Amino acid sequence: MEKPLFSISLKIIFLGILDALAIWSIITIIFDGYYWVGGILSLGVIIINYIFLSERAYPFRYMVPGLIFLVIMVIYPIFYTIYVSFTNYGTGHILNKEQAIEQFENQVYFPKDSVSYTFQAFKNDSGEIKIILFSPEEEAYLCENKKIIVKVDLSDPRFIDQDKDGIIDQFDNYKKLDKIQIIQSLNELQNLRFKKDEYIIKLANLTEFIVCNKKYQFDPSLDRLLDLENGKIYHDIEGYFISEDGERLTPGFRVKIGFKNFTKLIRSPQISGPFLRVFGWTFLWAFLSVITTFALGLTLAIILNDPYMKLRKIYRTLLIIPYSIPGFISCLIWCGLFNTEVGIINRILNNLFQVIIPWLQHPIWAKVAVVVVNLWLGFPYMMIITLGALQSIPFELGEAAAIDGASRWQQFKSITFPLLLVSLAPLLIGSFAFNFNNFNVIYLVTQGRPAIPGAGTPAGATDILISYTYRLAFEGARGNQWGLASAVSLIIFIIIAVISAIGFHYTRALEEVSKNV
Amino acid sequence: MKKFLTVFLVLMMLIGLISIASASEVGKLLIWCDADRAPVLEEVGKEFTAKYNIPVEVQEVGDPHRRLTTAGPAGEGADLIIGAHDWIGELIENGLLEPISLFTELRSKFVPVSLEAFTYGGKLYGLPYATEAVALFYNKDLVPEPPATFEELITIAKGLTNREKGEYGFLIQMPDPYHSFPLLSATGGYIFGENPDGTANPLDIGLASEGAIRGANLLLRLVQEGIEVPGADYQTVIGLFNEGKLAMMIAGPWTIEGIREAGINYGIAKIPTIDGQVAKPFVGVQGCMVSAFSENKLLTRTFLIDFVATKETMLKLYERANRPPAFLPALEEVSENPDIKGIAISAADGIPMPKIPEMASVWGAWADALELIVNQKLGPEQALKDAVEHMKKAIQGE
Repeated sequence: MEKPLFSISLKIIFLGILDALAIWSIITIIFDGYYWVGGILSLGVIIINYIFLSERAYPFRYMVPGLIFLVIMVIYPIFYTIYVSFTNYGTGHILNKEQAIEQFENQVYFPKDSVSYTFQAFKNDSGEIKIILFSPEEEAYLCENKKIIVKVDLSDPRFIDQDKDGIIDQFDNYKKLDKIQIIQSLNELQNLRFKKDEYIIKLANLTEFIVCNKKYQFDPSLDRLLDLENGKIYHDIEGYFISEDGERLTPGFRVKIGFKNFTKLIRSPQISGPFLRVFGWTFLWAFLSVITTFALGLTLAIILNDPYMKLRKIYRTLLIIPYSIPGFISCLIWCGLFNTEVGIINRILNNLFQVIIPWLQHPIWAKVAVVVVNLWLGFPYMMIITLGALQSIPFELGEAAAIDGASRWQQFKSITFPLLLVSLAPLLIGSFAFNFNNFNVIYLVTQGRPAIPGAGTPAGATDILISYTYRLAFEGARGNQWGLASAVSLIIFIIIAVISAIGFHYTRALEEVSKNV
Repeated sequence: MKKFLTVFLVLMMLIGLISIASASEVGKLLIWCDADRAPVLEEVGKEFTAKYNIPVEVQEVGDPHRRLTTAGPAGEGADLIIGAHDWIGELIENGLLEPISLFTELRSKFVPVSLEAFTYGGKLYGLPYATEAVALFYNKDLVPEPPATFEELITIAKGLTNREKGEYGFLIQMPDPYHSFPLLSATGGYIFGENPDGTANPLDIGLASEGAIRGANLLLRLVQEGIEVPGADYQTVIGLFNEGKLAMMIAGPWTIEGIREAGINYGIAKIPTIDGQVAKPFVGVQGCMVSAFSENKLLTRTFLIDFVATKETMLKLYERANRPPAFLPALEEVSENPDIKGIAISAADGIPMPKIPEMASVWGAWADALELIVNQKLGPEQALKDAVEHMKKAIQGE
């Protein structure tokens, strides 16, 4: 088969650009020390090249973009979550061990007889820097990075003072830097380390170098950190360097801690106490969300599907509006509408029936409120999918039933509804799983509140598992406990997986039924 | 076309990966701050660039400290972040901040409490530029003279409250620990006690102390007298005040701009005394912090000391914030402004907001307790004791 030259050249050009970028980025990544990422990326690029160049892999060309996004957006986060759930990642344990050690080893202490030197910086044409330090006694030292400082006599003709102002302007081929040039070279200057006796000299600020000494030394063979100033020894204990007398160094680092996050979930009465109540409400919430939105969506779809209805398109458009407004905004608006004192809902209720409902203060009313908000947000979706599914049900079935004398209700109950369920049941299960984790509605409308009286229960009346997780992980201990949060999300994932599996099992049963209709 | 799209998408993905892998730049300052501060820093940055030919990039970032927590260790963080002093505890525990050393002469130009707020473990971690605290905001058309004691406040508020007409005398947003803390602190409530060395002791929580309970009882009284109402959240309280339907509220300087735009004849005063004792609000200090992962630490310090710690920059920052400057030369310049005076007088009585990361365990449980109290589900004593018990367990990681 002759291929158009254009398409081949386009392919070659794009693969060329892709490969060039890939090679460049892989090299960068590997130089940064991320060997794994580099390896996986190389493998991915080789596979992409093969797929686009080989005729046999032709069908994969259409799948590659999807697969790439699947790996990046779904598979990688899942594995990362699993990995994090076995670590102590969280406040105080953000850095990895190498980064923490690097920070400790960069710390210095100032010996009692510490001296600071004023300095002049010099640079040659190839950008190398040398420094002349002046001690408080006006002695001059010539310094090079990582070398011992050398006392020099500035009256030596090697040092040239062109304008005779007593300041050296040049020596060898090194030229003096003025203040602006010093600031421009600050990043090089701050990395300079000179040696003097057992001490080091480094830049302290824009005008001075200072004598100091390394504070900590890590010993990899014994896995311990030594304080060079006072000889204290710190051992690596669960992500902190801790001395024998219990002193803990900041920062800590990330380590694997096995199943500790999971055992904590089970053992801590703080966490497991409200778990059943929260789980029960989460289940009820997801169930009510699906039922209410589906019921309203179905009713509206059937009404709008009636060919004798006038202005159908206008109604349909209007009813989809809640779906097109960002959920965040809707939630916040509803939160205002439900305001007990000034909200419009209570104003109306008060005027008509002289009642004031504590919408967001009473546990049951707060639950009603979140379900109502979710109904508003969710029914257009149900309406759209039902309208779609209704088109696939043959009109003749209804006609035949009508001729046989079936009423509209009987037609709906025995024909339309079962057939609808065949195509909609998987979507309803999906909606259940989505609402099970519907953090936005809960958090934006009630923040899981109102609080429930009782010693130390962090879960409020409308908290669902995911918002409860959020509270546990980010409003406890010292702020962020990503390890714990990942462990809970894994458990939630398993719960949803089980529920969905059961749901799909019944869906298959529905399909069996539909074959006989 | 399809093929083009495919290749295009693959390319985009690679570009994404490359940007993830790139490291922070040497010889270029990157600043993360909020939208209010960004224009000022951009201007100052331009001066810096003009003088030293070193580029300065200012990015608007909503939560710079959260972003730094993930981006910093990955080598992608900013050199400088601007924000509140109560971030520093967590940031330092995470190894993300670099101490800043200031010459004694420069130190003496700052309000002492603002430097104290940015000090952690004996080292300074931020260059402060503004202090803030909540105060009593009142509508001068409804309350000509601000009350000096809470008893007076209750009398005035009762007279002005008419819930049928939607008129209110005094509101504190609820359940909000930050705004209601002055009530608890006046009679002796506190968050964390002090260790002998002056650091905060996270296991000595004073929110269920006798003083705190007395303050909470006052809160309950406000509810029982029909002054404080359910559903008084931030939006409601500010909205009512800006409509002229609320006579007094406890609020912070961030509300001033909205109130001015609404054309309310307002005043800012000290929070009234409770049982003759001074109500102590939280004092927050805003400042600039240097990342431990910055490749340009000394350069950043130079930028801060020579370009930010100047009267001109501090006044520019002040103009965008309505908060008392932490830099004395700038503070003197604006101290006659009545808004600044009100906030500054309130802040003078205040206590710096705790900055140790254990504070994360306090907010949620504390808000829950306040909610139970104002909804009259639990008595103040029981609610606060439960909350403190929970905080202690959470802090100990149980």
